[in-house]
Amino acid sequence: MRPRPGAVLGRVWGDWTPVILVLLLIGILSILPMARLLLTALAPGGALDLSGFFERLTSSSTQRATWHTLDTAFLGAVVAMAIGGPFAVAIAMTDLPGRKPLGFLILLPLMIAPQVTALSWLHLFGPSSTLLGMFGLAPPPGTPNPVLGRNGIILLYGVQHAPIVFVTLRAGLSRIPGDLVEAARASGSTQLRTLLTIVLPLMRPYLIAAAALAFVSGVGNFGIPALLGMPVNYLTLPTLIYQRMSSFGPGVLPQMASLSVLIAALALTGVALQGLAMRDGGARYAGGKPAFFELGSWRIGLAAFAWAVIAAILVLPTLALLTTAFVPAFGVPLTLETATLGNFAEVLTRQASTIRAFRNSILLSGSAAMLLALGVVPVALVLQRFSRRRQRLLQGAIDLPYAVPGIVLAIACILLFLRPLPVIGSLYATAAIILVAYLMRFFTLAMKPVTTAVNQIPADLTEAAASAGAGPLRRLVTIVVPMVAPAAFAGALLVFMSAFNELTVSALLWSSGNETLGVVLFSLEEAGLGTQAAAIAVASIAVVVAMLAVLDRFSAKLPGGVLPWR
Amino acid sequence: MRLLLASVLLAATALPSFAADGKLVLYTSQPNTDAQQTVDAFKAANPGVEVEWVRDGTPKILAKLRAEIEAGQPQPDLLLIADVVTMEGLEQEGRLMAYPEAKVEGIDPALIDKDKTYFSTKLITTGIVYNTNAPMKPTSWADLTKPEAKGQVVMPSPLTSGAAMIHTVTLTNNLSEGWDFYSALAENGAQASGGNGDVLKAVSGGDKLYGMIVDFMPMREKAKGAPVEFVFPSEGVSAVTEPVAILSTAKNPDAAKAFVDFVLSEEGQKLAVSQGYIPVREDAGLPAGYPERSTIKVLNYDAAEALKNDMANKEKFTDVMAQ
Repeated sequence: MRPRPGAVLGRVWGDWTPVILVLLLIGILSILPMARLLLTALAPGGALDLSGFFERLTSSSTQRATWHTLDTAFLGAVVAMAIGGPFAVAIAMTDLPGRKPLGFLILLPLMIAPQVTALSWLHLFGPSSTLLGMFGLAPPPGTPNPVLGRNGIILLYGVQHAPIVFVTLRAGLSRIPGDLVEAARASGSTQLRTLLTIVLPLMRPYLIAAAALAFVSGVGNFGIPALLGMPVNYLTLPTLIYQRMSSFGPGVLPQMASLSVLIAALALTGVALQGLAMRDGGARYAGGKPAFFELGSWRIGLAAFAWAVIAAILVLPTLALLTTAFVPAFGVPLTLETATLGNFAEVLTRQASTIRAFRNSILLSGSAAMLLALGVVPVALVLQRFSRRRQRLLQGAIDLPYAVPGIVLAIACILLFLRPLPVIGSLYATAAIILVAYLMRFFTLAMKPVTTAVNQIPADLTEAAASAGAGPLRRLVTIVVPMVAPAAFAGALLVFMSAFNELTVSALLWSSGNETLGVVLFSLEEAGLGTQAAAIAVASIAVVVAMLAVLDRFSAKLPGGVLPWR
Repeated sequence: MRLLLASVLLAATALPSFAADGKLVLYTSQPNTDAQQTVDAFKAANPGVEVEWVRDGTPKILAKLRAEIEAGQPQPDLLLIADVVTMEGLEQEGRLMAYPEAKVEGIDPALIDKDKTYFSTKLITTGIVYNTNAPMKPTSWADLTKPEAKGQVVMPSPLTSGAAMIHTVTLTNNLSEGWDFYSALAENGAQASGGNGDVLKAVSGGDKLYGMIVDFMPMREKAKGAPVEFVFPSEGVSAVTEPVAILSTAKNPDAAKAFVDFVLSEEGQKLAVSQGYIPVREDAGLPAGYPERSTIKVLNYDAAEALKNDMANKEKFTDVMAQ
């Protein structure tokens, strides 16, 4: 048997120590928080109390919020499929002009924080829209903002999660053999008919997986229903938990734990469905040249349409956000005389809390990214020593805190760390609780690219080095580490971007001095300082775009499939 | 030896014990801009002190504080929140530190807690705001239940705002309709959510035309050019006094005391006036746009009763407004 690269670690530390350490790490970061949550939900007083659990789930506000969650997540997934599906087909298998930039742009909504997306759409419509006001198009005062409430939430779930659908479907489409399509065309089938009767059936597992992922993302989304639903009392489960927890305090923790278990169950059902659909999808047919369609005379018209969609879902909301960031107060029209940089000056130089939030978000996301990037390399090497089945099981455990909605993880962390623990004391009201939550949540993001890279290291290399007399540690440092370093770096950047954008976890975990960017944006918006919130949103978009540019620069050194737009 | 002891004692007493320094943590329900200005002015007067502040609605700040107390580490030294009822509750639990030496001269004694644990800093009334493009100019609370205002009224929720809690208690105690007034509002499609900031945003942005709101927000936005107008309704207004208090667990009580003295001082009160608040010291004047103090009709409410029924009132409110 050939030695796997991971075996080198065994020889450095002995056979069992690394295995035990890794299992312990996964246990603490991934399984412990979920177990603690279940314990409080099902047995708050220490004894199993199922009737109490179900009683807490049947109150009218819970039922209403559950229905809102299912309704918006389902229809949001439908919208996401309607946007992401055509883009996937057009970009993966046609000669549409401008495929590359379109493929990159359609991914952007996923990189932008949901609360920022929600804020920009809020400013795009409604009587107070600075952008519409400039052209005299704003609806008259007294007209409710159309994106507030159910319809807006559904629309924005669609926009925000279209990239997920796009990535999933594109992966499937690129594996459909061109021979099948050519055979159909040769037997006289039209292109459209080929698409519907040959491609569509082959795509079924990917379609189910894409829809399930979009649904799960909708169930757990917090930023969008927080900004679009809470102002009009349209509560989903995550916003209901946030509202109750932030208004009533720790007294309601048992109820909140029950609600958390409920949404976690909804989300995990979706994830399981996706896993089931993908279990053996794609393995059944041979590769070869990918299928391809020619658009012919439709090319220009369809390209124009695609760019129009991008303009509607990306450019207009961003413009709306920008114009709002430049007016002195909400409702004031933007003209050369009224335009001001005051909001930027206020949030970037004057207010201690927003300046601190920039620093905190960078520090917290940066530390999480670095710790995870360094930590996952040995974990990935050790995991290689397990059987396939066990690897999958452990990977599933690592996925858990990412698969459940962020608010669920926040409640679990409060339950774990509120009461003082021996040695470490209480982590509540410190930056450490946010960092630990980030490590739990984004573990899997750092893990995936590194696992891919580790599995791609040919065993011959380490063997050759071994026969040339290199010891295990030397092989680790000179062969394994350089080969996985780009993947670890990409993982770190993904973690950084996700943590930098997030609001869901820190919304309940922040404390004085430890505010994150998401938290201050939300708090400014709630305090009625919408123009300053817009300024923060613009600044955070700038940071994300800069990160994307760095990541893209770096792409040549990465294993395939790490960057979604490559 | 005795000499050494004496010199140490001398050195200790020679240190200026009044000069506050170190870090101060403030939890406040003031809007972010105001909180920062208050803190900046305090720091200018007390250069040795670093102030870290957190802002949220009073009920939310309290929920955060309760969680921290449970974790065994209450963070703030100071609270500057909307209403005395919340303070009264904390005082009864022994969470507040008395400060009998507070410099309160020039302030109406009726506004000061007899145990000197919390001190009112302003007078903030809740009245009606309307968008200047609205067809109706409301003059009374009853106007908000008229057909012209159908689906156009917005108000802060007592789950988010301390002033809104007091306002609800005051109106239901004083208006002859009691809770039926809120039922009528709910039937008229009024919406209760978020804090006063949300109301301001909705009305100045034109999403809604009428709102219940604290006075200083629309007064200030109007001065900046926003299309809003504030009205003192004919039935009278409710009022909160934004008290400040030191926590019994304060890590830096000296600096906290300096902060209390600062917000009550003439300088602190003038700052409040410049921010658009009615000050507690009459000698600090009034901000532009307000009528004479004596012409504002403030409705009474029973604070002890409000404290006792706090939870029940919140539930009643969410029930009536179908939240």
